[in-house]
Amino acid sequence: MALNVSELLTALPQETDEITTPVVTGVPALLSRASYQPVPVGRIRRLTALGTLQAKIAAAYLFHWLRGWFKSSDDNQRLLAETHWRTALRVLDSMTYLRGAVMKIGQTLANFPDIAPVAFVDTLERLHFDAPPMHWSLLREMVHNELEDDPESRFASFDKQAFAAASLGQVHRARLFSGDEVAVKIQYPGIARSIEADFRNLFLFLLPARLSKDWDSTKDQFDDLRRRLELETDYELEAANLQKARALFHAADGIVVPRVFTQFSTGRILTMERLEGVHITQFMARNPSQEERNNIAKKIVRAWYRLMYSGRMLYVDFHPGNFLICDDGRLGVLDFGFIVPLDDTEWEWFRKIDRPLTTGLREDRLPILKAWSDIGDDETERLRLNDEYAEWSWLSRYRGGEFDFSNEAEFRRGINLFTEMVRRRYSRARPNTPTIARGQFAWWSILFQLKAKVDVRSIAEEEIKATGWDRSEYTPREVQEVQ
Amino acid sequence: MRITAEEKNATRRRILDAAVELFRTHGFDATTTRDIARAAEIATGTLFNYFDTKEAIIGQLASESFGKARLAFAKQELQAGLDEELFALVVAELRQLKLLRKFITPLLETVLCPLASARRPGMDHSLRVEHLELVVGIAKRHGITEISPVSIQMYWSIYIGVLAFWAEDQSPKQEDTLALLDQSLRMFAAWLLNSAGESQ
Repeated sequence: MALNVSELLTALPQETDEITTPVVTGVPALLSRASYQPVPVGRIRRLTALGTLQAKIAAAYLFHWLRGWFKSSDDNQRLLAETHWRTALRVLDSMTYLRGAVMKIGQTLANFPDIAPVAFVDTLERLHFDAPPMHWSLLREMVHNELEDDPESRFASFDKQAFAAASLGQVHRARLFSGDEVAVKIQYPGIARSIEADFRNLFLFLLPARLSKDWDSTKDQFDDLRRRLELETDYELEAANLQKARALFHAADGIVVPRVFTQFSTGRILTMERLEGVHITQFMARNPSQEERNNIAKKIVRAWYRLMYSGRMLYVDFHPGNFLICDDGRLGVLDFGFIVPLDDTEWEWFRKIDRPLTTGLREDRLPILKAWSDIGDDETERLRLNDEYAEWSWLSRYRGGEFDFSNEAEFRRGINLFTEMVRRRYSRARPNTPTIARGQFAWWSILFQLKAKVDVRSIAEEEIKATGWDRSEYTPREVQEVQ
Repeated sequence: MRITAEEKNATRRRILDAAVELFRTHGFDATTTRDIARAAEIATGTLFNYFDTKEAIIGQLASESFGKARLAFAKQELQAGLDEELFALVVAELRQLKLLRKFITPLLETVLCPLASARRPGMDHSLRVEHLELVVGIAKRHGITEISPVSIQMYWSIYIGVLAFWAEDQSPKQEDTLALLDQSLRMFAAWLLNSAGESQ
């Protein structure tokens, strides 16, 4: 749909003091500017270069919407903000060089359907799947730069067409001279450094939230997300994650993490074993039986706990495209760019919350929630909401037995609780909380999509037992209490 | 003593090789024609029989690189869009010019600069003309039969801008240049195709 730019300009809010570069009009001016400017990796440049007009509009609307989010929960304002978003996102859609962070933010928000307007999520979904591809000549040059030869010489065959869009690049089928079928993920040039600039922009949009008491906590959470996105651009790190994760699974698990071909991988190119199979949406389209769906769900749950307890890696990138149901029945876990490593400090927190959150008892949960989210004794409403949300998050785990994830009302309850926390600006929590919350929602979302019935608790207990973690002093008591 | 064509070519080659080495080691500005002559083991006066200026040496080195690039480009099988084909042409040149990257700026200010050739009518501007002829040929393959002088000038601004950016690109493996080139050519190709559509 074509934008009526003059209408948009008239409707623009006036809060864009930070972005004062005059709008460039006319092709000659645009061309002469663009030809002598560096690639838009700088903060203001990224907002003012190729998409000057669009960027200004988009930024202003984003600003407006976030202001509404943080300052008011009034329905009329929210509706107005949604209208703004729809316009802004159509515009952002055209800004190919903002692909990096915008898409990752989009994937995060897309997990919270009641927080982000439907039109916004739809647009972001398109951004994720329909990102403008790198053409063959650019791709060829990237391979030449990174692997020191052209793809035609480095690989036995190399598909010119991408078979999947990645948020930071695209994925191509290829075959090595050894005969191995591989998937080659290639990053768009310059995108890694652009993410930092994107985040500084988004940070700017969050300025109104400074008025909130939770500002410091929000800032820390934002920094945490920024750091993780920056790490995600490092394909060498992702290769290391893949190798570590792959070693955790055995043939009997029916779970596979693709092998990395390090000699064909760099910080910008990742060459992995190519698994053949279907994604969850295609799997569901075949109308599989309850048993088939449960089996896949069990593998997803097992993979998640194995990574967490044995690998000390929190897998939060639960995009349906990151799981593959292989032709041989195995579950392929594909993307390891967005992992929360559980270092000693994080692991200590996970160890501390394990018991209180798995008993299902409120009196056990409250002290740890107060510590996690720094909740004072007088903040009763904040504590209540945090507690209800934690109870929901750990429901399938503490309750035990076969949990029915097809229950839409239960899924929606969690979304409503989270939405309510956001509306009340209860964002204060440990820095990695938004990332973990993203993982929780996406995890539930996939199991909901599968309409699966899974005994989460028993799988978790098996995985914990395999690590040798002795929880004998409290497990029997809480099981009795819960029952 | 009569100097054969073969000997002339050998001397010419020695001058070019010595110049590249000195430019790379000491930089273009710090290198004198005397330094080049000494490194090439010839008298300074002899050097001027081959090249009038340092810029002419760079021009010759670039001309050789452009020649190799065009051969490589011609061998590529491209069934691509206008922007991609233009991109392929320019990156083929950048690959060949890589050794000259650090001291390509004088070239941009002389033989590749329309203003410079306007000031000095005798200046050889074949590099520019040959490149633009290829661009016109590519555009024709994509159905654009006539390209206005304005369009040519726009393209040239982009091209020179990209080269200037590339010369100073500090990003890893000059990846920012690839992004700039990609985005600039997408924009130019879209505009050109759109303009051609409107005029029909």
